[in-house]
Amino acid sequence: MNRKKDKGFESPRPYKLTHQVVCINNINFQRKSVIGYVELTIFPTVVNLNRIKLNSKQCRIYRVRVNDLEAPFIYNDPTLEVCHHESKQRNLNYFSSAYTAAVSAVDPDAGNGELSIKVPSELWKQGDEMKVLKVYIEFSLDQPKGGLHFVVPDVEGSMAERAAHVFSFGNQNSTRFWFPCVDSYSELCTWKLEFTVDASMVAVSCGDLVETVYTHDMRKKTFHYMLPIPTAAPNISLAVGPFEILVDPYMHEVTHFCLPQLLPLLKHTMSYLHEIFEFYEEILTCRYPYSCFKTVFVDESYVQVSSYASMSIFSTNHLHSGMIIDQTPLSRRFLAQALAQQFFGCFISRMSWSDEWVLKGISGYIYGLYLKKTFGVNEYRHWIKEELDKIVQYELKMGGVLLHPTFSGGKEKDNPTPHLFFSIKHPHTLSWEYYKMFQCKAHLVMRLIENRISMEFMLQVFNKLLSLASTASSQKYQSHMWSQMLVSTSGFLKSISNVSGKDIGPLIKQWVDQSAVVKFFGSFAFNRKRNVLELEIRQDYTSSGTQKYVGPIKVTVQELDGSFNHTLQIEENSLKHDIPCHSKSRRNKKKKIPLMNGEEVDMDLSAMDADSPLLWIRIDPDMSILRKVEFEQADFMWQYQLRYERDVVAQVEAISALEKFPTPASRLALTDILEQDQCFYKVRMQACFCLAKIANSMVSTWTGPPAMKSLFTRMFCCQSCPNIVKTNNFINFQSYFLQKTMPVAIALLRDVQNLCPKEVLHFILDLIKYNDNRKNKFSDNYYRAELIDALTNSLTPAININNEVRTVDNLNTDVRLILEEITRFLNMEKLLPSYRNAITVSCLRAIRMLQRNGHIPSDPILFKSYAQYGHFVDVRIAALEAVVDYTRVDRSSAELQWLLDLVQNDPVHYIKHKILSMLAKNPPFTKAAESSLCNEALVDQLWKLMNSGTAHDWRLRCDVVNLYYALFGLTRPSCLPLPELGLVLNLKEKKAVLNPIIKSDPGPELEEEQHVVIEPALSGVAMAPQSLKRKAETLLCSSPEPGQIMQEEPSAKITVKTREEEDIDMETVHDSQAFIYHHLNMLERPSTPGKEVSSVEHAMLSMPGTPMPLLSKESMSSKHGDHHHHHHHHHHEHKKKKKKHKHKHKHKHKHESKDRDSHAFSNSPASGRSIRSPSLSD
Amino acid sequence: MADSAVMGSGSLNSGNRSAASKTSTSPSENYQLARRRTLQVVISSLLTECGFESAEKAAVETLTEMMQSYISEVGRCARANCEHTARSTPTLSDVVITLVEMGFNVDTLPAYAKRSQRMVITAPPVTNASVVPKALMTGQKRTHPPHIPSHFPEFPDPHTYIKTPTFREPVSDYQVVREKAASQRRDVERALTRFMAKTGETQSLFKDDISAFPLIAARPNSIPYLSALLPSELELQMLEETDSSEQDDQTDTENNPNNMIQDDQGADKENAVLPPGGGVPAGKPSEENMIDNPYLRPVKKPKVRRKK
Repeated sequence: MNRKKDKGFESPRPYKLTHQVVCINNINFQRKSVIGYVELTIFPTVVNLNRIKLNSKQCRIYRVRVNDLEAPFIYNDPTLEVCHHESKQRNLNYFSSAYTAAVSAVDPDAGNGELSIKVPSELWKQGDEMKVLKVYIEFSLDQPKGGLHFVVPDVEGSMAERAAHVFSFGNQNSTRFWFPCVDSYSELCTWKLEFTVDASMVAVSCGDLVETVYTHDMRKKTFHYMLPIPTAAPNISLAVGPFEILVDPYMHEVTHFCLPQLLPLLKHTMSYLHEIFEFYEEILTCRYPYSCFKTVFVDESYVQVSSYASMSIFSTNHLHSGMIIDQTPLSRRFLAQALAQQFFGCFISRMSWSDEWVLKGISGYIYGLYLKKTFGVNEYRHWIKEELDKIVQYELKMGGVLLHPTFSGGKEKDNPTPHLFFSIKHPHTLSWEYYKMFQCKAHLVMRLIENRISMEFMLQVFNKLLSLASTASSQKYQSHMWSQMLVSTSGFLKSISNVSGKDIGPLIKQWVDQSAVVKFFGSFAFNRKRNVLELEIRQDYTSSGTQKYVGPIKVTVQELDGSFNHTLQIEENSLKHDIPCHSKSRRNKKKKIPLMNGEEVDMDLSAMDADSPLLWIRIDPDMSILRKVEFEQADFMWQYQLRYERDVVAQVEAISALEKFPTPASRLALTDILEQDQCFYKVRMQACFCLAKIANSMVSTWTGPPAMKSLFTRMFCCQSCPNIVKTNNFINFQSYFLQKTMPVAIALLRDVQNLCPKEVLHFILDLIKYNDNRKNKFSDNYYRAELIDALTNSLTPAININNEVRTVDNLNTDVRLILEEITRFLNMEKLLPSYRNAITVSCLRAIRMLQRNGHIPSDPILFKSYAQYGHFVDVRIAALEAVVDYTRVDRSSAELQWLLDLVQNDPVHYIKHKILSMLAKNPPFTKAAESSLCNEALVDQLWKLMNSGTAHDWRLRCDVVNLYYALFGLTRPSCLPLPELGLVLNLKEKKAVLNPIIKSDPGPELEEEQHVVIEPALSGVAMAPQSLKRKAETLLCSSPEPGQIMQEEPSAKITVKTREEEDIDMETVHDSQAFIYHHLNMLERPSTPGKEVSSVEHAMLSMPGTPMPLLSKESMSSKHGDHHHHHHHHHHEHKKKKKKHKHKHKHKHKHESKDRDSHAFSNSPASGRSIRSPSLSD
Repeated sequence: MADSAVMGSGSLNSGNRSAASKTSTSPSENYQLARRRTLQVVISSLLTECGFESAEKAAVETLTEMMQSYISEVGRCARANCEHTARSTPTLSDVVITLVEMGFNVDTLPAYAKRSQRMVITAPPVTNASVVPKALMTGQKRTHPPHIPSHFPEFPDPHTYIKTPTFREPVSDYQVVREKAASQRRDVERALTRFMAKTGETQSLFKDDISAFPLIAARPNSIPYLSALLPSELELQMLEETDSSEQDDQTDTENNPNNMIQDDQGADKENAVLPPGGGVPAGKPSEENMIDNPYLRPVKKPKVRRKK
């Protein structure tokens, strides 16, 4: 869609924002509230701007003034309650489309917003002069559930002493949660930010800190920030707390902030940030765009890292001291990610959601370059391989990930991703996992582009984007100049073709405009007579998540005479490819064999097929296609590949292939790799696990000590006493990682009875016993944790004689030993806690494993106590994982309820998110299986959670959708009572009516719904009568709000009109009126009782002599909708009059109690706010 | 009057006198008492010789005292004379000169000594007074080998050079040490955790036997990240012992306290004289000025309200 309009950027709004002031005067930690105002400076771009739509959620708005004139406004947020009227649909298709419609209705990229401000008529006349308007909004936030997060530890002392802090967060554009704004990545403006905080606190925000001034009473200070670089509202953030301040010793314009007492850790963690800066600036040949950079480390963070203009917010859990090995690369990676996003994501923003992939792609790609430089090529290639495997696995399982969705027009049926249970039209409707995969795919595609046009050109393109943006950013506001700072898919592709002169159209079409990956199956035969390798490459492009690939593919063949690359063309019908071999099979000659990298090695060729000169074959060795390759070659070829191919990716592939060949030769090859310290450590780690698997497959013929045991002894134990491990010295990280991993793998060994051999268990217990870290420079916490994991791995199911209760007395002796270790470790953790409580985490997992294997009684109480708020987050998640597992195994509804309560009430957003994703990953039941847990109450609870309970957090809502999908699938949950069948026909009618009204894309989903509905679902229409009643009641009860007054008359008019048209069956005027609103809501989804909004539409319409070019489309459609609607009623009533009567009444009785429930729920804070929201207008 | 033995003892006494004062049982004091008794006997016999039949005790004491002083003086002077001539042992001539100097006619001495009526007094019983502590003899004292002339000093006592092993070899070195360290640590840990478990709240994995594997109850912490992230004191200690090569820059350590101070002052409200006007940065060395970071700058005072 965007590709066509490459000339500049067309704003969806009738005005252009140029500057915004955000002033927060008061932050109250005790009450968790915030008071402030914003002032937006806007230039109308139409002649008569009479309405301004802004985004705002949660905010209590006190007054709005436009150029010092009080302006009436309406606050309406349809996402608060997605499906109204307690609809009994209960199926995801219905919800998804409704939710998408609701998000669209407030989508700033479509010019919409929750807050609609009527420009005072006095200002209209100035229209032709295009005068600047200043919109001033006073607002407050009280105990925000989204947008801002308060962390207030419950200890003695002042707020500063308690390390209380607050910071902004959100999924994608979520700034509207904490101040009114145009919450779009494409609306840039300059900023002035003022925060008045307690004198003991620091307020960190975007841009330059101009000055800090005391208030008159000297109790507070005000931080004044200026951000002269045009920035989108979603990139604005704030963090306030009693932070310790560290000026980066290498770069004085960079400042780091952490919570009290953590300064030493901060110093260590930040000691290499300057290297990342230097790296990016060098490759991009561009200076860091902002004049300063701030990093803030906060507790209870929403995500691990989030980037905003000139600042990044990290989880405080990434801080570490110099003694910690494992965290170091992780923290560096997060820093590098954050910084990459500063360039692409914050400084350069995007035109629309469908251009997001460019930003994520570029930032992910340059982050990859940093990884390559810092951690080496092996690490980089290994990472690419992992990422590729991840995306391939996801797409094959879930269906494709589409980077650049195009929604041509709006209400068409061509949903680009019909295979998904959510819409990808908005970032806020995406499942979190999908979004992660989206980012993963984006950077892989960037790498593909690099393969095509070379890295040099690639970096030139980035440089071009950056320099254009920085030129634009230094300009004062001119029309469209700032849009140079927005990247679009078309703009990006255009610069690629300008810079490189190459056409990457097919590549983009394949991977960006189209979802799914390629699945190859390869096999070969060697034709001795012709000395030709006959390679067959087949594709599976019919199963979900796959697509057909046509084009070049590289194949590398290692022959006796050397390594040869061949480029084959994959075409429509050719499966077989003949590749001429260079060497005759002549293995008698003792000659070194040249490898791809020029190295020449001696090989023992005795394992080879005497007739063939082929050592191994690789398909697409450079990973230049997003693919999965299943290639068949003989086991000895995989072994040669593992031993002699120098590419880590090839080694990794060989190892996973060798799992299927449990032979002594495979064993030898793996052992050799394990011993070779030249080999990349992650390959060796993987070899450990493969060796364990092979050993288990070969258990009956295995000779010698358990696999890897003697190897471990040789590498890590004392020479004089081989049963004692050397005192720890982790100075060599490769061997550290190996030492950590080997016991975990060894513990997976099983003997003929499928038990862990005693020898192995005692070996691990000895490792624990003799572990001595006194002389080590590094902490051994992760090592000890992995030793506990090893113990966990050694567990096998208990032999359970006639279901006896597990007691201490009948505890297996080996298990007793294990349990003793675990008890001691867990208790020691209370006295000497390890870094990130890694040991507690492992212990909890071990205990759950003991329970699951029936060694100790299954009981969630312990885990529940560790899952409480107040434990370290890793511990909580480990404990929750155990509870989730318990819920599934024991089918405990009490625990499920407990978990869901936590989802609703826990103060930490990340924990809520994790609970839901763990539940979705390990669901207590699925659609396929019958379960006592699956009942109506649960469906109701989840539905309410999804419908209105999670309106404050986009991510959480999508998590609930995810869980709902995992439990019930797309259709109506089977545990719900069957709906009356007589409504089916109504449904069809309804669909015909609804389609034009819902401007968003119900598309095929709705179509499907129709089919689905035939069996279980209830239609909205069917429910209408009694929901109407409720609606009507609500309307009657709620005293008219001030905002309503001005619309009194038009709405009455409508009523009259309706009465005329609607001649049948509707009980009261109110009912019919509400019924209409119900359908109108499909358009606007107001959460405030329908009346205001829809009547506003009409009010606007009926205002004489008001030209409304922008509104006309909308109002037309609603009118249209009305018409159809009534039409439908006539039609339908005539036909089905009698039937409907019957069913309707039945229904009423049946669901009366439900209705009351829903009514109560709608008074919950989330939805209640909308009803009581102060839509004042004087 | 007295023989040389007496004289010698007198001179010896002069050095000890001040030290020996009160009744005690040390050998030297015993010796002193014995000598004094001898002197009294001498005085008594002289008095008898002179024809006294009896004498008051006080008189005898006085005379004894005089006698002792006299002999002491003779001894002291004799020694002084001898030391004058760089010798350590007084000779007869030293004594003679002393006596002469003290105005005694030496020539009369032999005659006096040979007088007929003189009484012979038995020498005081010699208690094992001067017991020189014997050096511990270890081993055989070595004689000179043939090539060393005998006039060379003898070899020192063997104990000065003979090496004697003072400890036993452990049964088996490394293994036992490790074994011991490991089991010791384990015992300590187990005892400690058991103790903690016994004295505090616990959780149990078994319902039938709550005491079987007691777990110290999990207690939520109001600031959980601190204990999870900060290295424990034990670890820090170990780190110091092993190696602390990391040296962070000095500059920021200096910056920070400043800033914190500044904040604190802010917290102290207005009465704190408010140095932000310039006190803090100006007082700091030049590096402070080099680092121009807005977060280190002083907080400004509010402008005076003009409107009101």
